Amino acid sequence: MRTLPKKFCIILLSITAISTITSCKKNFLDRNPQGSYTSDNYPYPKGSGPFDGEIFAVYDILRSYDASGSGFVAATGIRSDDADKGSTPTDGPTSLEMDNFSIIPSNALANDLWRGYYNIIGKSNIVLDKVANDKDPGTPPQAKVSAEAEARFLRGYAYFMLVRLFGRLPLVDKLYEDPAAQSNIPQSDPAIIYALIETDLKFAGANLPAEWDVSKFPGRATSGAANGILAKVYLTQQKWAMAMTTANLVINSAKYDLSTPYNKIFGEDGENSKESVFEIQATATLQEKRTYGSQFASLQAVRGTGIWNLGWGFNTPSTLLEAAYETGDPRKARTILYSGGTSIYGESVPTGLPNPRYNHKIHSSPTVRNSILDNFSYWMNIRILRYADVLLMYAEAANENGNAAEALDKLEMVRLRARAGNAGILPKVTTTDQDLLREAIRKERRIELAMEHERFFDLVRWGIAGQVLQNAGKSFVTGKHELLPIPQTQIDISKGVLKQNNGY
Amino acid sequence: MKRVFTKLSVLTFLCFLFTSVAQAQNITVKGTVKDGADQTTLPGVSIQVKGSTAAVQTDASGNYAIAAPSDATLVFTYIGYTSKEVLINNQVTINVTLSSASQELEGVVVVGYGTQRKRDLTGSITQIKGDEIAKMPNTNPVSSLQGKVPGLTVVNSGTPGAAPTVRIRGINSTTTSGSDPLYVVDGVHQSNIDYLNPGDIESIEVLKDPSSIAIFGLQAGNGVIVVTTKRAAKGETRIALQSSAGVQKVINKIAVTDAAQFRKLYDNLLANSGAAPFDYTNYTANTDWQKEILQSAFQSNNSLSISNSGEKSTTLINLGYNTQEGVVKFGKYQRYVARLNEEIRINSNIKVGADLTGTHWILNSSNADLNSALWAAPIVGVRESETAYYSMPSFQRTQVGNPMARIYQNNGNNINKGYRAVGSLFAEIKFLKQFKWRSQFYTDLGFNNSRGYTALPFTVVNLGEGTTPTDRFNNPNARTSVRQNTDEFRKFQQDHTITYDTTFNNTHKITAVAGFTTIFESSTNLSGDRTDIGLNIPNDPSFWYIGIAEKNNPSNVNGGGAERSSMGYFARVNYAYKDKYLLNATYRRDGISKLAPQNRWGNFGGFGLGWVLSEENFFKNIKGINFLKLRGSWGTTGNGKGIDDNIFRPGLTTSGSGVFGDFIYPGVAPAYIADPALRWEVVRGVDLGLDLKALNNRLTAEFNVYDRTTKDIITQIQLLSSGTNLNYRTNLGSISNKGVELSLGWNDKIGDSFTYNVTPNVSYNTNKVVSIGNTTNYLLIGNGGANRTITGESIGHFYGYRQIGIYQSTADLDKMPRMPNSLPGDIAYADLNGDGKITPEDRENLGSPFPAWSYGLNVNFGYKGFDLLLQGQGVAGNYVYAQRRTAAFADLNFESNRLNAWTGPGTSNVEPILQKARGNNYLFSSYYLEPGDYFRLRTLQLGYTFKPNALVKAGVKSLRLYLSGQNLYTWTKTTGYSPEAPISSIIGGGADNGVYPIPAVYTFGINATF
Repeated sequence: MRTLPKKFCIILLSITAISTITSCKKNFLDRNPQGSYTSDNYPYPKGSGPFDGEIFAVYDILRSYDASGSGFVAATGIRSDDADKGSTPTDGPTSLEMDNFSIIPSNALANDLWRGYYNIIGKSNIVLDKVANDKDPGTPPQAKVSAEAEARFLRGYAYFMLVRLFGRLPLVDKLYEDPAAQSNIPQSDPAIIYALIETDLKFAGANLPAEWDVSKFPGRATSGAANGILAKVYLTQQKWAMAMTTANLVINSAKYDLSTPYNKIFGEDGENSKESVFEIQATATLQEKRTYGSQFASLQAVRGTGIWNLGWGFNTPSTLLEAAYETGDPRKARTILYSGGTSIYGESVPTGLPNPRYNHKIHSSPTVRNSILDNFSYWMNIRILRYADVLLMYAEAANENGNAAEALDKLEMVRLRARAGNAGILPKVTTTDQDLLREAIRKERRIELAMEHERFFDLVRWGIAGQVLQNAGKSFVTGKHELLPIPQTQIDISKGVLKQNNGY
Repeated sequence: MKRVFTKLSVLTFLCFLFTSVAQAQNITVKGTVKDGADQTTLPGVSIQVKGSTAAVQTDASGNYAIAAPSDATLVFTYIGYTSKEVLINNQVTINVTLSSASQELEGVVVVGYGTQRKRDLTGSITQIKGDEIAKMPNTNPVSSLQGKVPGLTVVNSGTPGAAPTVRIRGINSTTTSGSDPLYVVDGVHQSNIDYLNPGDIESIEVLKDPSSIAIFGLQAGNGVIVVTTKRAAKGETRIALQSSAGVQKVINKIAVTDAAQFRKLYDNLLANSGAAPFDYTNYTANTDWQKEILQSAFQSNNSLSISNSGEKSTTLINLGYNTQEGVVKFGKYQRYVARLNEEIRINSNIKVGADLTGTHWILNSSNADLNSALWAAPIVGVRESETAYYSMPSFQRTQVGNPMARIYQNNGNNINKGYRAVGSLFAEIKFLKQFKWRSQFYTDLGFNNSRGYTALPFTVVNLGEGTTPTDRFNNPNARTSVRQNTDEFRKFQQDHTITYDTTFNNTHKITAVAGFTTIFESSTNLSGDRTDIGLNIPNDPSFWYIGIAEKNNPSNVNGGGAERSSMGYFARVNYAYKDKYLLNATYRRDGISKLAPQNRWGNFGGFGLGWVLSEENFFKNIKGINFLKLRGSWGTTGNGKGIDDNIFRPGLTTSGSGVFGDFIYPGVAPAYIADPALRWEVVRGVDLGLDLKALNNRLTAEFNVYDRTTKDIITQIQLLSSGTNLNYRTNLGSISNKGVELSLGWNDKIGDSFTYNVTPNVSYNTNKVVSIGNTTNYLLIGNGGANRTITGESIGHFYGYRQIGIYQSTADLDKMPRMPNSLPGDIAYADLNGDGKITPEDRENLGSPFPAWSYGLNVNFGYKGFDLLLQGQGVAGNYVYAQRRTAAFADLNFESNRLNAWTGPGTSNVEPILQKARGNNYLFSSYYLEPGDYFRLRTLQLGYTFKPNALVKAGVKSLRLYLSGQNLYTWTKTTGYSPEAPISSIIGGGADNGVYPIPAVYTFGINATF
């Protein structure tokens, strides 16, 4: 070693080092993501549609806690006179704020809703951006139109929820060149939001398929879903003729009917039935009990112990709803599950539960619970739009338009099914007096769609929310509580660009 | 006794007279060997005639006599001291002073790709000696830096094996990873030093100013912590043992209500909510859940070093074993470390060496949930039998589980093991006298392996309430499952440097270094689990492998990886003129794979100037001052740490799925909105300093003032405020940190045998967001809006209402500003804008979660072999958000402050009414903030060092025994387990959501060398 020439040593080392440097310099800093895609190398599936991946990501948000969880249930159900907050008296103070209208801008559920629906809007815009900038000559033009229609349906639905919940909204209908510019957009008036919703849903109604291959995509948004929601958009704006026309598109499509018995609609086996116009889809597997599902049912389900620990027991049917049923109406038993009663599946519900009544419509089948090995029913679909709703919308619009005969016809279709063959109950409504018929339709809507997230919005659009809810003992302030407060968090992030709703 | 303070004294040098006599005959040389610092005599020093076997030792008075050729060389060696060679040159009396090895090192600091004399530094670098770290019974060496380095904030965690959060000179980024310092261990770039044995560290340097850190490039923007491990001491064979064992105990539990108090408050809450009273008939227990989940825990730190240094090679073997049980049942961390360091001098110009560290750790993480012990109602008993545990009452049954059932159901069911090998090889060649080439290759390989088991739950005993009878429930849907997880990390680094070192005419001293470095890191992970639907997998680790359950059972498999690299060229010149005028210039060109090719390379650098006034002639007349230096530096560097890999590319997430019926389809969405132009954060700053030694070196002082700005900070904007899915990360805004640091030292003795030193330090930092997204009218909120980051104010400050009292009556509501729905018993907030009502515009900056002031105090006393160490540390000026008190998702146990809740006019002006639906009282306000100021008695240690000559016969060279107490008392106004609330989150920091307790530790230890 001692004889190793120094110069040789230096040269050797230099060569080693320099070769290491040069050999690795060229590509040494080019590193690809490991085990994850970028939009440049994602192997978009051919066949079912090149934009499906992005579209499915929007559906993922639809069933999320933000969009379909406690906020959704509280804002659409607990705020109404049909439901109480439920659970234990002091549990869920944010839901209680919704129930008794002590709500303040810091309410976390309002913020959930805002985030959830804007997430749907943002992801829909991504689909639209991708469609618009698709340079692949191999993309079938029909695939582009269909993808655009589906994204605009989802965006329109999200804006429709938001505008009814919050009123004035920042309108974002595209991806911005400078992403940061999208972060802070001032609010537009509801009329401008409604205009966007109408054009979106019209496009969707015209371009979505009337049905999807049920062996692959049961429950995926159809033209019927778009037209059905659009009819409700018109109804909300009291555009009666447009509401009739659009509801009629659904009715005449011949894709839907009332053949599903009322007591079969709401269980697992009633999912995506002929009754269903639009349903938020959820499922569960033995392995993934929650990932593909929604907490929607669980947070309303029976709050018992042991095998009756099915959920949190929020959104319980009120005594007012209980009293609103006509004598012998079989729909009552399918809507209200009593502590000490019997479930649709024949289970004996324990007595002494924290709440005397629970929402029966979201009660899951014990057979499914035992096969998934889970009590929390994340697999229950959320019925957003049923055919009976479309018929009642048509009836309401027809009556307002002075067409009592058409209204009575559609009303009777709904009542006929409700009778379930028992001619002695739910007598046919025959009045042609517009006011009396209006009352009959409103009452039918309340009962047929009880606990189905319609009541509060209906009260508001009928202009009777103050009167009804004050009578129900709630401290509802007309001109204020029709809308939720704009979440304080959102106002804060916007540095004051967003303005608070009246009265908050 | 000497060793206690020698490290604190300064170097002194002896001058020898040389006379030239060219004869070689045996003469007898006599003399005395003394300690260079305190001039006490050293017994047991070995004196050897170089090149022969002739050797003697000094006697008890430090005297020796040896026969040797008159032209021979004597070698003086003594444990813990640097050995010394003296040419006899016909002298018959040779008195020698030896300086302690650590003292020798104190003069030199590691600066990155080289070392520098501390007196030549132009930047701010603080050095902590290894023995100061080894003295502390902490498993993680970083914990021991707390309170010792001005400008360094260390937030410890009591979790076994957990690494503390470290911030240097304020907050320079908005992201957590972007705010961590860089660790450099013997040259290897690291993000933590968890794998090191605290007893095996020679020194730790903290590099604080931009000019000092610029040489490390893009990873160093938040400062650098340089760790040097031990090397064999020259000229001897040594065995050193450090061992300590102790017990940890939580001495400050969080005050919560007991059963009687709970019943009182809960009755009150229900009455205020208009609810029926609760039926307590079956709830007769009085359980202190904290007492149940906490335990006294054992810990032990051990280190054994064997080293040898010979003519041709030096070898060091270090073995370490650390174990720490958690004070929360039943966590346990164990670590084994073995290190081998070998250097071989091939000839006087060529040196090669290798270093290999192997670490193995085992972690049994606790299954306990600290919060559930605070939340669980005290009226419930723990268990009915070994297999049947009570559930909580119905009002919290769904949300709060039995804390002890949780601990015992899966106790010991997580087996986490990690293996890590860090190694390096180097060759160093000196050529042309002044040049030195050094090439070093490093690798760091980590393998983590865990497997676990989920057992069947215990029987749940639901006590009867009202008409519901007591029942016992075994969940028929519960199944056993097993899981396995494996991670692999790889790092390869190479450094090549040429150093040029010369001195002209005894006036111009130049050290220049130029080099090249690359780092490549990659990782892979694989994880899976399987639930056995049909069989119950036994509760025995032998079965806890995925393969135990038949393939058709539901299972989950996952895997991923990562890759990144960086490359840099650097150069540095240090120039000193007559040791008086100092100049330092640094340059680095650095590139990282994380950024797009056109944005990935950057140029960084800095320069510093120093003026040693005490070398000037005019200063010679000033008495009392031994050394005085003024210095200033400027530097610019980058912060690439907070950048995620490949963030410039349009990354996708495939985690969301479309569901149709029972069909599941993968969704794909942008993981974030990519900014192809994303760049690193630019850190720039100046640093001015003064170093002083005075009064015969008894007083030392170091003073720094700095001003640092981070520009182009990477900010995450939530587009449409839609949560995490549409984030846009881009360079927006800048942050400024300014501060001063002062450290003082006083070493002295009273009489011959009483020595003491006092070293206090204090630092102050003020942080300001100079701008953030001004073009987009943007601000950042953290932790649900409790923290806010906005232009012109400190980063991540608390933002909310200020409590001025409680509305006592409707009369109060009429005359005081209020919210529309305020009621008596609600918190009254200050009407800051004076509009007569309380609105969101009445919120203000309520203070920062980051302390402005940090200070530490170390005091040592020595008396005849006894030593006493007192160490304290504290912060001031920050606030802690007691967020754990805001939980309202169920009816939880109350913290004791609620005993004073308002129940009617005049009952309280602080605590609001017990009523959870009063949303106004849950708004973020000063009611939930506590002053974060604290002072902690960190260490109280009493040691005794045996006299060397008393031990020599037993083969022991030195022996010290000590008793130590850590964290014995903390003066604080916070109500949590520890005032050290987490600050790892930058824009949402300072919230106490159940901070792991920092226990008091009582330790007995021994340090011995053989």
